[in-house]
Amino acid sequence: MQEFTWPGRTVETELASDLEKAALRREFEQRLEECGTLAFRVARGVLRNAADAEDVAQEAILRSYRRFGRLRDPSRFRAWLVRISFRLALDHGRSARRRELRETTWATDLPKPTAEDIAASNEFGRRLQEGMAELSEKSRLVLLLTSMDGHSLEEVAELLRMPIGTVKSRLHSARKQLAGKLR
Amino acid sequence: MTCDKYENALLDAASNGELHAKLARHLERCSTCCMTLRSERKLFSRIDSALRAQVNEDPRPRFLVQLRLQLSKELTARPGSDRVWYVAGAALALALIAMSYPLVNARRSSVQGSLQMPTIKAPQSPGVTQSTRAIEDLGVRSRHHSKLPAVQSAVPQEPEVLVPPDEQKAFAQFVACVARRDAIAQAVVTPAANRTVNMTTELPRVSSVDIADLQLGRARQKEWIDRTGISE
Repeated sequence: MQEFTWPGRTVETELASDLEKAALRREFEQRLEECGTLAFRVARGVLRNAADAEDVAQEAILRSYRRFGRLRDPSRFRAWLVRISFRLALDHGRSARRRELRETTWATDLPKPTAEDIAASNEFGRRLQEGMAELSEKSRLVLLLTSMDGHSLEEVAELLRMPIGTVKSRLHSARKQLAGKLR
Repeated sequence: MTCDKYENALLDAASNGELHAKLARHLERCSTCCMTLRSERKLFSRIDSALRAQVNEDPRPRFLVQLRLQLSKELTARPGSDRVWYVAGAALALALIAMSYPLVNARRSSVQGSLQMPTIKAPQSPGVTQSTRAIEDLGVRSRHHSKLPAVQSAVPQEPEVLVPPDEQKAFAQFVACVARRDAIAQAVVTPAANRTVNMTTELPRVSSVDIADLQLGRARQKEWIDRTGISE
């Protein structure tokens, strides 16, 4: 059976297109292991459980793969993937939180525990997540990336394309704000 | 409370580890602030370690395997799906053109209807039923309601002929005579539609035409009444 070809598209153009796609795929696969972990970690920093983070990371990788050919500067791929993963994770987290709010009623009249009590309690992780959710998106992303292994302040500044002074001030204010929520 | 002014400095010291000389001197003699600093440092340390533990977690090994599998599926599915989208896009474009054509047509006819030239409507053929007359009435009404172009385009348009004022009477007589003789009417009208008029030259003036009523014999008159149902 002869393969369908659009008018104006010759076998040569089809072949060239296939070759280009194969080259793009090879290039993408070379980055996949590193970038798969990066996407997962960014998503994990936003979401409470690893399974959700894997789903979000997979979606982010597939989206970035679909648009990989249109990326003007391949060296910006990591920054691009970080942003896609972060945004998808935020969306996922928001919808999960809406679900949770519908199903759960939180106790509000309990006495406030001290910082040491909170640190010792099992609720610390949950309260940390709540505090993170109240940070601005920019501060949150800076906090996540600087907490990741192998990301110095300079690298985070380069990844987010912002001056290192801005990264430092955002990190400082985010940590103080977070501590204020947890105190 | 004198320690209040050191509150921000304490937080900064706990957060980034920098201890200013003034705060250090105060801490030497204030045990409360020393305890607060220790407590805050512990909190920041706890936050950092919790964040690091969460953010540096590795995905399960099968995550990358599944990812490669999904990418392979994506690669095999894409060329076919591209074509499906091309075909769907073309079909959608055709459907839009087909849907917009009656609207454009209705707009054109409404613009034509708003011209100031007087018109004479050709009489109806005897085969026209009451229901089609009702539909045509609807068509005439809808011309005045721009919100209902679809209704106007859906009903058949009543034929209209543009006639200069000085020829109206003659044309009315002519139309009355050739009524229900479509072949003759078409033969008269068709060449006029194809004629090109040179606007720079003066148009020929035609004096009004008096067409006498048809004088038919008794036998022809009976045949005429039988065929048309008109007694005059």
